[in-house]
Amino acid sequence: MFKVKRETSDGKLALILLLPSTLLILLLIGYPMLSNFYISFFEQPINPEFPAEFVGFENYIETLTNIDFYKSLGITLLYTLLVVVGSTALGLYVAIMFNRPFRFRKVARSLIILSYVTPSISLIFVWKYMFNSGYGIINYIGRDILHLFDRAPLWFDNPTSAFILVVLFAIWRYFPYAFIAFLAILQTISPTLYEAAEMDGANIWQKFKAVTLPAIMPVMLTVITLRTIWMFYMFEDVYLLTNKVNVLGVYLYETAFAFNDLGKASAISVILFLVISTLIIAIRKKVNLNASS
Amino acid sequence: MPAVKTRSTKIAGRASFYLGVIVLLCICLFPFFIMLMTAFKGSEEAISRNPTFLPKDWTLQHFIDIFNPAIFPYLHYLQNSFIVSVTASVISVGIAIFGAYALSRLNFRGRLAINASFYTVYMFSGILLVVPLFKVIAGLGLYDTKTSLIIVMIVQTLPTAILMLNSYFETIPKDLEEAAKIDGLNRIKVIFYIIIPLSFTGIVSVFVYCFMVAWNDFLFASIFFSGAENFTLPVGLYALFSTPDYVWGRMMAASIITALPVVIMYAISENLIKGNVTDGGVKG
Repeated sequence: MFKVKRETSDGKLALILLLPSTLLILLLIGYPMLSNFYISFFEQPINPEFPAEFVGFENYIETLTNIDFYKSLGITLLYTLLVVVGSTALGLYVAIMFNRPFRFRKVARSLIILSYVTPSISLIFVWKYMFNSGYGIINYIGRDILHLFDRAPLWFDNPTSAFILVVLFAIWRYFPYAFIAFLAILQTISPTLYEAAEMDGANIWQKFKAVTLPAIMPVMLTVITLRTIWMFYMFEDVYLLTNKVNVLGVYLYETAFAFNDLGKASAISVILFLVISTLIIAIRKKVNLNASS
Repeated sequence: MPAVKTRSTKIAGRASFYLGVIVLLCICLFPFFIMLMTAFKGSEEAISRNPTFLPKDWTLQHFIDIFNPAIFPYLHYLQNSFIVSVTASVISVGIAIFGAYALSRLNFRGRLAINASFYTVYMFSGILLVVPLFKVIAGLGLYDTKTSLIIVMIVQTLPTAILMLNSYFETIPKDLEEAAKIDGLNRIKVIFYIIIPLSFTGIVSVFVYCFMVAWNDFLFASIFFSGAENFTLPVGLYALFSTPDYVWGRMMAASIITALPVVIMYAISENLIKGNVTDGGVKG
């Protein structure tokens, strides 16, 4: 209020500086988000030569009464839950492990991050190769060395084993994200806090609960929220690894580009959007409650 | 209850710790090891029923093959990937610098709202927008052009780039700017002479982030391109993988060369940042 003049001059410059980014985002994210709603009310093939036909809520009704959608939703929720829990827990465990100085720590840290940095496509090939049912190294180890099974399962062609593998792949690939975030925050915790807790006779678990957990809570909240969102609409990794795990990202993609139904795909993305928003709000509320108690 | 630690329990503790680190690294790196070794194996050995860990006969043939256009259009895809990723990253970072500066330094109405909307957009994108973006790109007549992917990659990376740069700019002392203004520099000059040089390492890491997103994208590339002419590496390699006559060693060599640019860039940007920020006094 006191700086009216300054505010207006800044406002003009801010408008100029922010114009390109805001315009692009409005045009290519804001508009598409709204047009998603619009398209979802039409029967809309990919080919623009065919006219769109208004169908009202039919796309939503068809989606919400289709058992495949609920199967896909269930798989996606389970996939998200397992990957979020697995990658967060592993990331935290490894970060605690690395929160002490040791030789080659820097090198080890860089090597751990490798799976997170490498493009999906490169990783997909080697996983498919390793789990090849005929000559894959995993079958060799399981069958000929450990004798866990006589006949190798068709790893990526069986819905159950394929699901386990996409979960393991995602945990392996994404835990370094949690690891980096946790390591950074752990290094800011003063060792005197642990020493004080030790003086009071706290054991490892009590120290973790009293010192580590409260300090890392905000980071944990962010890691969990973002990872939940990202896993919930995961498409690439699952689609490239197998065609037996129909997570919602894949379901949406196939509806649009394999079954030629853009309208229904839009309806699915609107539903997805609502589910993710609800999830985020739920996570935030839950963690806030815990933090205040 | 401070436990009395003898020398031997200390050594045992250290040994088991290092063992833990080694086991962890083995699990993390096993697929990379297989990738590397298979790339150097002959085609027969790669599909042997008794797989070998190390190649019996080392060969560079697969690396030679992927750079031979008569065998594999790898170079063409590589070039497409570079064009898309570099162009998108340069434009995205360029636009983001100004946007982030405005958000971190200027007072104006709606600052918080814009910040919040960038954060929302950062969380929701990708597959959720694939249908409308496909329609927008087709409507603009950009279907099956590299421009389509460049534009979408700019927008995919822009919100994150702005948020990242914003936090880098926050670390630059405001006094420096005030001093520069007293010396007669205007806001735009401040950005070029003070902000950009001082946050150079941050800008590099944002560039690397944008590059990685564009380099790794499969989703949009797979719906925007119809012919192999514009294929970037992910779609190009996936298309080859789906044909019956792929060769594992060749695919592994291609995977390694595909990963190399991002891995190298990431390593460089990590070191740049490490050199700039004190590491909490812990060296290892």
